[in-house]
Amino acid sequence: MDGRCAVDTWTQFGCTHASFSPRITFGLGTDVFICTGSDEVYVFNTQERKVTAVLQFPAPVSDLSESHDKQLLYVSCGSGVYCVSPPFLLSRAPTSPGDASSRPAELKISSESLVVGEEGVSSLLLVGSVLLILSQRETSWMLSLYKTPTQAQSSSYELLSSFSLPLVSAGTQGDTEGAGMRRRPVLSCVHSDPSSTLSDSHLHLKPVLFKLLFGIDAALAKSPVILFGLPDGRLCFLPLRLPGSRLRVLHSLEQPVVFVGASVVKETDPGHAQCLVAMGEQGRVVLMKAINRGSEGAGCTAGFIEACVPGPVVCGSVDQHHLYYSTGSDLLLLDLSEGIIWGEGQEREEETSSKTPAALQSPTSLNVCGVMALAAPERNTAGGVQLLGLSVRGQLQRIVLPEGRQDVGVSSQTSSHGGRSVRDLLSAIGGVCERVSTLKTTIKSKNQILRHLNQLLNVSFLLTARTNGEEHPPMQEKQIRCRAMTRWSRLLQKDSLNLTCVLDNSGPYVLEQGWTLSVTVFPVSSSPSAGGESSSTNFSFPFHDLHPGETLEVSLPLAAAGDTCFPLRVACSLIFSLSSLLAEEERTHLPDLQSGERREESSGKEESLSTIEVQVDSSSIAAVCGLHHAVLHRIQALLQRAPESAASTKRVQSSGLRRALQRAERLLPQIQQSRISGAFGDGTSTGHMTRSLLAIYQELRENPLLII
Amino acid sequence: MHQPNCLLTTWVQENNELVNKWRERQQEGGGLSRDQNRTTCSSEFHKLLRKIQGVPPLADHTRLELSVVYNTCLLSTAQSQFREAELLLTHTLQRALQMTGDDPVTSDLPAFWRTVLKSVRNKALNSCVLRLLCVQWVIWLATCQIKTIHDFKEELSSLVQTLCTGDGDEKRSEGEKEKCTDVPRLVTDPRRLVELLQICTFIAQGAESLSEGQSSEALSGLQKASSLSAPRTLVARVHFLSGSCLAHMSCPQMALQCYMKALETDSCCVCALYQSMLIYRQLGNRQAEIQAMRLLHSTLMLPSATVPALASTQLLSPSLLLCSQSLSSLLSVPSALSVLHNLALTCVLHERVSEGVEYYLDLLAALHSEDQHGVSAEGPPLPRLPELYLEGGAALLMARRSTDCMALCNEVINTTMDLLPERLVMEDPEETSKAETRGVSAAGEDKMAMLLWSGAAYLLQGHCHTHLKDWKQAVTHYTRCINLLVKVRFKKKGLQPQIPSADMVDKQGTDLCILQRLKGLSLAGRGISFTQTDRLREALRDLLLSLQAFPECVGAGLWCGEVLWRLGRRQEAAACWEKTWSFATQSSVEGLPLYLWEPQTGPLLDSTELRCRIQTLGST
Repeated sequence: MDGRCAVDTWTQFGCTHASFSPRITFGLGTDVFICTGSDEVYVFNTQERKVTAVLQFPAPVSDLSESHDKQLLYVSCGSGVYCVSPPFLLSRAPTSPGDASSRPAELKISSESLVVGEEGVSSLLLVGSVLLILSQRETSWMLSLYKTPTQAQSSSYELLSSFSLPLVSAGTQGDTEGAGMRRRPVLSCVHSDPSSTLSDSHLHLKPVLFKLLFGIDAALAKSPVILFGLPDGRLCFLPLRLPGSRLRVLHSLEQPVVFVGASVVKETDPGHAQCLVAMGEQGRVVLMKAINRGSEGAGCTAGFIEACVPGPVVCGSVDQHHLYYSTGSDLLLLDLSEGIIWGEGQEREEETSSKTPAALQSPTSLNVCGVMALAAPERNTAGGVQLLGLSVRGQLQRIVLPEGRQDVGVSSQTSSHGGRSVRDLLSAIGGVCERVSTLKTTIKSKNQILRHLNQLLNVSFLLTARTNGEEHPPMQEKQIRCRAMTRWSRLLQKDSLNLTCVLDNSGPYVLEQGWTLSVTVFPVSSSPSAGGESSSTNFSFPFHDLHPGETLEVSLPLAAAGDTCFPLRVACSLIFSLSSLLAEEERTHLPDLQSGERREESSGKEESLSTIEVQVDSSSIAAVCGLHHAVLHRIQALLQRAPESAASTKRVQSSGLRRALQRAERLLPQIQQSRISGAFGDGTSTGHMTRSLLAIYQELRENPLLII
Repeated sequence: MHQPNCLLTTWVQENNELVNKWRERQQEGGGLSRDQNRTTCSSEFHKLLRKIQGVPPLADHTRLELSVVYNTCLLSTAQSQFREAELLLTHTLQRALQMTGDDPVTSDLPAFWRTVLKSVRNKALNSCVLRLLCVQWVIWLATCQIKTIHDFKEELSSLVQTLCTGDGDEKRSEGEKEKCTDVPRLVTDPRRLVELLQICTFIAQGAESLSEGQSSEALSGLQKASSLSAPRTLVARVHFLSGSCLAHMSCPQMALQCYMKALETDSCCVCALYQSMLIYRQLGNRQAEIQAMRLLHSTLMLPSATVPALASTQLLSPSLLLCSQSLSSLLSVPSALSVLHNLALTCVLHERVSEGVEYYLDLLAALHSEDQHGVSAEGPPLPRLPELYLEGGAALLMARRSTDCMALCNEVINTTMDLLPERLVMEDPEETSKAETRGVSAAGEDKMAMLLWSGAAYLLQGHCHTHLKDWKQAVTHYTRCINLLVKVRFKKKGLQPQIPSADMVDKQGTDLCILQRLKGLSLAGRGISFTQTDRLREALRDLLLSLQAFPECVGAGLWCGEVLWRLGRRQEAAACWEKTWSFATQSSVEGLPLYLWEPQTGPLLDSTELRCRIQTLGST
């Protein structure tokens, strides 16, 4: 092995931990279709090396298949099979000249493109004008044949026939690997007629082998044969155009079939593969080829050569002489032509020999890890082999095989052993690399979470500081606070009361994503905790990062005039819900506002339950006074409902409040008196009235309702 | 007291809305959406029923409850959930009877029904219960319980009487009832349902009796049915079954008339066409047989023939009610390809070779068509493809289109060539079990069959060259055939494999018989070719070997005499001719594939001339 594979990462898609195994197929020209198992199919241009389009489907995509002219793409997902024309869609896609070069066109595929409504479709294949759909039912596999319309505008897909095969339980090891991801049955079409077009999933077999495997009648009728490998290990076939044909089992791998392909092409017989290869998830390889038993006089018979390579096998691909497969931690190569030579040399062996040729037992490591899907190998301009792979991290990789690889073989036992130990070493390094990178990712994400938690705790401390921080001066400004204002507004001849809350972050920490400002409005007559649901209204405002110094302002309608029974209580909470453990909230209460007259403008500002500052301002001193009195009453009522734990402070507060109330009660008649005298103009000079009002005013100003 | 009535009104409304919704969606069309409609409506009716049956039985509610059960059960049976529907029926009836005070506890369903019917007779509920009996009838018919239906004959006929002649509120037409919002609506008019059930029962019973061999009994029932009003396809089926009864009673002409009536009623009644064809064949009326087959083939090619009859907006399709094995075997018709093959072969067999050849070519074209998609059909399978090629080739040769024949044979040869074994041991089929008879490879390919197909293809090519008077090529191809056939050894138990001989053939149609026949025909062909190039010694050797392998070979016998005559062995020649004529009259080609027939295209000897020669021999 001189040199390692050159791996270029071309682009990165989302991670491939989806519900279906990923898939790459070649499309029109230099386009490649990639489905990672998510809802999206990517169109990647290998020449420009960029994603040119993203097709978004309504559900995770299980499989795709192209028409032979590569104009139509059939995609199976969720509720059925969709048919789209990527060239047509791309020509219609809106692209502004500015970002046409940088951003792929995003095309949303709607249910208008649904052509066959069938649930549980696992695999798709288009053979001529027939669309084959393999789907899993409760008790059986169902292969349905649909006739595609000849005219593009017609949309009827006629069901030609359907075949069912009873389900059998998968092998014992079948379900352990790749839990959560459904292994797609392998569906392919085998031709013996060299004139038929060859594309992905279409194989050409040497006529002798074709006849031996699928029968004389299929060969005479020049019928394509549908070949499919199931997760239960069965390899089944169906001659497509033979009257009265039935599904038959060709072979059983006894482990989920990962891959079926045709290989070993001799120069003497170009275009025809001499060998059909099937590969199972645990590494079982079956080569099917024609064996000439001339010496026994038996003529040609079908030979099944079985071998086992170290698994697990994630995906595979073949070219003319080699089988490439990925175990997830390494990409390996098997030389099939050597296996074939072995087969021919063992003419006297039993038809299905369990003996394994040496070449099949020693795959060559290519030291590429994490490959989840492979496209068909290609020869590049320099004559080297290149593979297109999709890695476990969703990277599209071009893997160029080292030159001169063909020379490495089993020429001599010692060199082979030496070579293998080096290969093992490299492969082990590859494995370690893989593990390290996975660990790195895990550590990174854990760090991220810890940082987030730290931030969260800091914010929580800021919010809770007031409740247990008796030593702090009460007047100290809160670093995160919520202010609220109410305002009457008139819209369409209707008065309504609007509430504006402003969340102000003047603390040093960012309120990160996950925080929600919750505003609950409910009448005072109903308690917030018990049975208040009948009339309370809740507004939630989730917000993204709120950096230090930034404010968040939200407005909401409180009530229309006449609809609501005042007073109202407004509760603002700051909620974080990462999990129930980390939930933290700040509850702030707005004082109740009772408006005596509609013209009044009242605004309340408050910071915490224990510190309330109410500003009452109005052009009418009587209104201010009345409101003042009303507020005092409310506070008194509130105090009486305050929890038992705060009994000591309650007493203090109550006495203060009582004094304030007495003061207010004394002021009210004074105002009334001065108003009456003013109105009658009974000798009292305006100067006297003004003085008395000023006195009241001053008393109101100087005795703010500061209750601790 | 106010509350239950209010509930009753709501439930009636809910029921009526469901019925309306079901009808609307049913009209919208689309096979898939109809199925879905049935499923969703069925589950909604079940929900409604759970509400209704959630309260103890109330006299005021019973009428509604029984109507909803009728709707629910019909939707269940339409989805083939017969057991579920039957359980619901009995449960509901027991609830209804709890109010009347009767409590029939019996596990026997017919007995249960008799008690139920007795206790509601002359009561307001009678008509509702009778409707449920209709549902029970549907279930019995759909589950092929013909005997139960027969035992219940009287009750069912009184049911028909009551529902169709009208009794109580049944007098009002369904349309009138629809107008009253307080009457629960039904998904299907019980009277229409009874009509359908009646004719379907007659059909099912007729088919059952017919398959049991009681044709005249079946016929009398079917005659009653023919007077009923019913959908066209069902009336056509009644006529068809009557015809089948008459055919069994050895009245072919009357049977033909019935089949004709069936076709007049429903032109797509392919089974009537097929059976008429069989009767014409039996009567020896080849013209009519071929005509019927041609019609049958073109009808089967119509797109409508493959669409199941009456996939209509009806809730219950006749195919659901008529699912008995005996009926479907009576109605079965071979596939279009099989009919075409039969047509081609019949034409060739009855001196309409050029027409037959065209059908063979149509058949091969159809097999190669892109539209051919392995649609499996009942009935006899087609012969294997190589055999069809060889038959077609033989027909082409009969029509003197030797080049075309050679092309077809080449296909067979090219396909089989690389799979043929060097040696093959054939075991006595009597001694080996079926499973291990032959060397079967992965796809079950049979080496012996391949060798025989290949041999037959070479034989036909030899015949073609003989026809073209290219004797050298003829000898080459016959030789290829012979070389292939001598690879086969026959092994009898306890003996070494040996070259098979004519006396080992004890059964017609076996591989051994075909092998010997092919050997005889190819040796005869080569012998005849040698006579044409005056290589008489080789000719005589081959003709004698031919007679050894296949003593009944007329060509070999006559030409052997000819060669002997030319060699001056005139007495032997005369004896050989006499012997040949003696068995030429008995030998039959019946059941033999076309390509194993003796060729009619090569050089012929005139028997009268030969007889003259014998006479001159006798006179001298």
